[in-house]
Amino acid sequence: MTETILELDDVVGGYGRITILNGCSFKVRRGAITTVIGPNGAGKSTVFKAIFGLIRPSSGRIRFDGTDITGWSPRQLLEAGIVYVPQGRNLFPELSVRHNLELGTVAAGPGIRDVGARIERALDRFPILRQKADQQASTLSGGQQKQLEIMRGLLLDPRLILIDEPSIGLSPLLVQETFAILTELRDQGVTILMVEQNARSALQISDEGIVLELGRARMQGPADEILRDPRVGQLFLGGGLAEPAA
Amino acid sequence: MSTPAISQRAATATHRTIVRTHAGMAELVAYIVAGLATGAIYALAAIGFTLVWQTSQTINFAQGEYVMLPAILILAGVSFFGLPLWAAALLGGLVFVAVFGAGFKIAVVDPMIRHGVLPLAIATMALAIIMKEGAKDFFSSEAQTFPSPFPAGAVDILGVSLSMQHIAIIAVAFIAIGILQWFVSRTRTGRQMQATAQNPGVALILGIPVARMVMLTFAINAALAVLASVLVSPLYLAKFSNGEVIGLFAFIAAIVGGFNQVRGALGGGLIVGVVDSLAAAYISSSYRLAVPLALLVLIILIKPEGLFGRREERRI
Repeated sequence: MTETILELDDVVGGYGRITILNGCSFKVRRGAITTVIGPNGAGKSTVFKAIFGLIRPSSGRIRFDGTDITGWSPRQLLEAGIVYVPQGRNLFPELSVRHNLELGTVAAGPGIRDVGARIERALDRFPILRQKADQQASTLSGGQQKQLEIMRGLLLDPRLILIDEPSIGLSPLLVQETFAILTELRDQGVTILMVEQNARSALQISDEGIVLELGRARMQGPADEILRDPRVGQLFLGGGLAEPAA
Repeated sequence: MSTPAISQRAATATHRTIVRTHAGMAELVAYIVAGLATGAIYALAAIGFTLVWQTSQTINFAQGEYVMLPAILILAGVSFFGLPLWAAALLGGLVFVAVFGAGFKIAVVDPMIRHGVLPLAIATMALAIIMKEGAKDFFSSEAQTFPSPFPAGAVDILGVSLSMQHIAIIAVAFIAIGILQWFVSRTRTGRQMQATAQNPGVALILGIPVARMVMLTFAINAALAVLASVLVSPLYLAKFSNGEVIGLFAFIAAIVGGFNQVRGALGGGLIVGVVDSLAAAYISSSYRLAVPLALLVLIILIKPEGLFGRREERRI
């Protein structure tokens, strides 16, 4: 088992004729929380879509655990052990909380036989989910919906979670709670790759940081170093990242 | 667009059922039951209409022709191939679901939806014309009698004489809708279909086979059309032009009901059927087409999301 669980190698891609990723390369360390930060339009969400097979890179390779997964379908990636929690609301508001969880197990392989028990355990993780198990998911608050989404993503015991802007629209308290869930997962050995606008708090709970600018990874290193780097502050204040002296 | 022949024939059918009833209440009840029977048929078409809209943004303007054609195919099976009626019905139904369910999705929807909802809608209008003219040229331009699967005659319920056929139509349509509702809400596959309709993007990232679910809704739509065709043709006779009125009423039913749910399409269909029946009986059968249209305008003005609908948010 190598240190690296996910590797992007010179990935180029975007939407139609618009290229967002311009040769993006980085490595994600196994069992760590890695946060991708960068200004708006840097391609943070696009990186996730490329990894999760929602856009097909025009060139470059993506490897998961040594296997080339470039161009795999979401279904294949789920079966390989990757889940994707996009930003915003991603529940089916008119279906019950329980049925929303059930839909997270559609891609369960033959190795997973206890789907029902897994759903019950997920409901027990938060009292509110158990209480509203048979009510429409739309009756949950924004934060509870995000928690349900994360629980849904965990049902298949993923090895890598791609989570995009988990803090968006949540109160500071709920952000703390959500981050606590992520650190707990990391401690259980799950690898987390996160995109966060809320860079400072995200880096504080992260092991690694990646700075994305104009569709390329410009810096990668331990989260606390990224956090202290004056150039990162400058980047977020609008100036470009200074080229390192030749 | 006017099809006075159909309107009068249906009106006569309705009159026949109430000929022995007394004036007043009994007559009203019989008209309502007749309206519920045709309304249940409109509901079948309207439900299929909303299903394909939900899962694939397809506005099928050929929906009326979908209800017209299966009866023609069944009659063609009997007269061209000498099949017994039941075999012709089975074969006609299967051929229709394959061609106008799956085939429609592959040959019309998939290539056109890439260019947008409107080009696809226009393509379905073209399909409607092809189906209608095809039925006329290859089968018959005359109205054909279509055997009723139900016994004729009337039953007396609390002094009101009601057509057995109307009651059977209502029962069969409700059973079919009940089975569909059960499938959609009580089975895992049905819930995957709902998920696909509610948010295909999220369905995809959960590994739900979105394309297969969409295909399933097209097959269900075609199957509902076959059922509606078999139920309506004994009343209206099988004729190439039947789709005009049925399609319009199904469309109105879907909009009145809210366009986005089975429940709404059912309610909308029943309302349109009853309004149509009462308008033909008490206002004038020559104005009957105008009354459901007036209802449509009224609903759009007062409650644009439909009587049972919810406001729709769509992410762009």
